[in-house]
Amino acid sequence: MLFLLFQVGEDRYALEATRIVEVVPLLELKPLSQAPQGVAGIFDYRGCPVPVLDLSALILGRPADELLSTRIIIVNHPDEFGTNHLLGLMAERATGTLRKDAREFTAPGLQKGSSPHLGPILMDDSGPIQWVHEQRWLPQGVCKLLFSERAPAGHEAS
Amino acid sequence: MNRTDSQPPAPARAGAPATPPLAFGQPVEVYACWNEIGVHGSGTCAELQKFIRCENCPVYASAGARLLDRTSPPEYRREQKEYIARRKQLPAQRRHSAVIFRLNVEWFALPTEAFQEVSERRPVHSLPHRRRGMVVGLVNTRGELLVCVSLGHLLGLANVPPIETLRTLHQRLLVADWGGSRIVFPVDEVCGIHRFDMQQLQEPPATLAKSNQTFTRGILHWEGRTVGFLDPNALFSALDRSLA
Repeated sequence: MLFLLFQVGEDRYALEATRIVEVVPLLELKPLSQAPQGVAGIFDYRGCPVPVLDLSALILGRPADELLSTRIIIVNHPDEFGTNHLLGLMAERATGTLRKDAREFTAPGLQKGSSPHLGPILMDDSGPIQWVHEQRWLPQGVCKLLFSERAPAGHEAS
Repeated sequence: MNRTDSQPPAPARAGAPATPPLAFGQPVEVYACWNEIGVHGSGTCAELQKFIRCENCPVYASAGARLLDRTSPPEYRREQKEYIARRKQLPAQRRHSAVIFRLNVEWFALPTEAFQEVSERRPVHSLPHRRRGMVVGLVNTRGELLVCVSLGHLLGLANVPPIETLRTLHQRLLVADWGGSRIVFPVDEVCGIHRFDMQQLQEPPATLAKSNQTFTRGILHWEGRTVGFLDPNALFSALDRSLA
């Protein structure tokens, strides 16, 4: 299984490559006024507006470093109805991939409630890598706010 | 952007370098071990046993990744925004493929499915009592004797070498199979397989020689050259008739 690696601060995370639509550079975003914490803005992805979450801001409370290694990972994000939406995740050091069997990740043995970010973990030479789903980081309501307004009928067909 | 206004000051990051990140264009200090003990140097690095080449080594990869730990050049984010906003132009599908080959100075193409193999130069044995026409002789192709035919004579090209010369003076043999009739053509050069769309095929010019015109389905442009795309049905039925 192929994973994309990225960092939030010093912690390393892995995301399944099959969920990723495209990894784009840190481009200029249009900030949203009154946006909740962690929503960095939106951008035009080939004609389709895509909201971007700044993972560093969500988890560490500081915006991601404006470096070339900080990239926006566009994922298919399922909402509560199971419909996929494009969601951008601004992540630092999104520069590497990892090919590992899913069984090599082990559950950390911690209750999900104690730390909402914890997922299955893989240990390698430079420390742990967590396999994540961005759902864990999304504050209640953000997803609803971003995607709840379902497109009016006929909009998608046009 | 008011992202950090209401937030407490960001906590100091453990292990993060205290120095500000390098600006774009500032040189990154790396120890280029690949130039010293790696494949571009003495080749004495012990890790080479494992990675064979420095390009496979994590030290090399992490040095490369450090180049990205710099700020982006000015205007970079805006340029990228405009680039990503553009709709993707998918390249044409190019469903058809043809083998391009050369006869003397002219370039021709036939559908790839008409060919079985391209073989090296090998002797062509002459047939008795076949002094005229376009049959060059017989060729041993994987244990099977196949008729070898001069396409240049069939197409009525100018300046084609005489049949006797073609027996020895060719560079490649194209083994064709169209509708069960297997025939070998000596050619001067084979340029490989080219993919194209039928829309790219242009009408053959009206000035083309008459016999040539019946076999040419269109004109392809390939690397600045004009290639005549031959109609396999017309070509092979004409060959069958002439061999009968």
